[in-house]
Amino acid sequence: MRILIVQCHPSAESFGASLAETVRKTLADGGHELRVTDLYACRFDPVMLEPEWLRYNDAELNRAPVERHVDDILWAEALVFVYPTWWFGLPAMLKGYLDRVWVPHVTFEIPTATSPMRPRMQHIGRIGVVTTCGASWLVSKLMGEPGRKTVLRGIRALCAPRCKTKYLAHYNMDSSTPESRARFLQRVETFFSRW
Amino acid sequence: MRVLLIYAHPVETSFCAALKERALKTLVANGHSVEVLDLYEQGFDPVLSRAERLAYHDVPENRESVAAEVEQLQRAEALVLVYPVWNFGFPAILKGYFDRVFLPGVSFRMENGRVKPNLQHINRLVAITTYGGPRWRAFFLGDPPRRIVRRVLRSLVAPAARLAYLALYDLNRADDAARTAFLDRVEADMARL
Repeated sequence: MRILIVQCHPSAESFGASLAETVRKTLADGGHELRVTDLYACRFDPVMLEPEWLRYNDAELNRAPVERHVDDILWAEALVFVYPTWWFGLPAMLKGYLDRVWVPHVTFEIPTATSPMRPRMQHIGRIGVVTTCGASWLVSKLMGEPGRKTVLRGIRALCAPRCKTKYLAHYNMDSSTPESRARFLQRVETFFSRW
Repeated sequence: MRVLLIYAHPVETSFCAALKERALKTLVANGHSVEVLDLYEQGFDPVLSRAERLAYHDVPENRESVAAEVEQLQRAEALVLVYPVWNFGFPAILKGYFDRVFLPGVSFRMENGRVKPNLQHINRLVAITTYGGPRWRAFFLGDPPRRIVRRVLRSLVAPAARLAYLALYDLNRADDAARTAFLDRVEADMARL
């Protein structure tokens, strides 16, 4: 499979970086074709500025500022997002990647008076999320897991109708132990080795 | 009341800008003292840096890079957010405001390993927003920005704080009448803040 890994963590020595590396290595060992976007490492700018917003609906011009990233999502058959959950949502960096790269005419057609929103990313059949949450499972559920829904419902709605999803989270991250982290890495490896 | 109005849209001629202007005008006319934080105008950097991540739990050093925003937040008795929903969430610049300013020791504090809310001075919480798609669609997708405001932010402010989530759905197909009606609704709500 052609898989795009989008990883987002400010620190290259973090547990988040180990997770991304585990995902990459496991998928590479599985013989998949990979592309990796490390948003902090490539200093992605998450802020959509005025000129870009004014061209947002322009099918010719809206992808120009982020051409490489648009190529990647058109190429991929599966996506894996690896990020820490902050305030129950995506880090601003990753949210800005969705704002700027997942533009209309590429990923969906804007609804009009006569037709509803139409998805355009049907070539993507799988989405995986690997994340860490400071909160517990229960509190995450009570808050409604907005970050999970942004990706696994919002982005999924633009992909293949039967797109499969998987959400792997290490909860209670602030009280994690070397053992709990090792267990989670193992879980991530086991899951992606069967992808 | 001291109101902090946080605004996140890049374009001055947008409908979102009109919403912000109407809210601001109504609040001022009703005698509130309003501070506007225009994230785009200020060039706010939403990216939590490596240094900030490493110092995240060090109270109070963790707020050094956003000291002005923290003081502004701590002065507020009401918080009004004006933003468009983009891709099922806040625009990155607004999400980053929460990532970088809602720090331990500011918006919450840790007591015996438990998270305690720390914004009890905020008695009113209002979101004014627009969605490109229809309400049913947002509902099926779990409406992440509504959950952030109604559950996550609410858990941090005064327990009895009044909350309003004012949303215009289906903006891509909204006509002038729908837009005018929504502006009036915003005005009515701001008038009884």
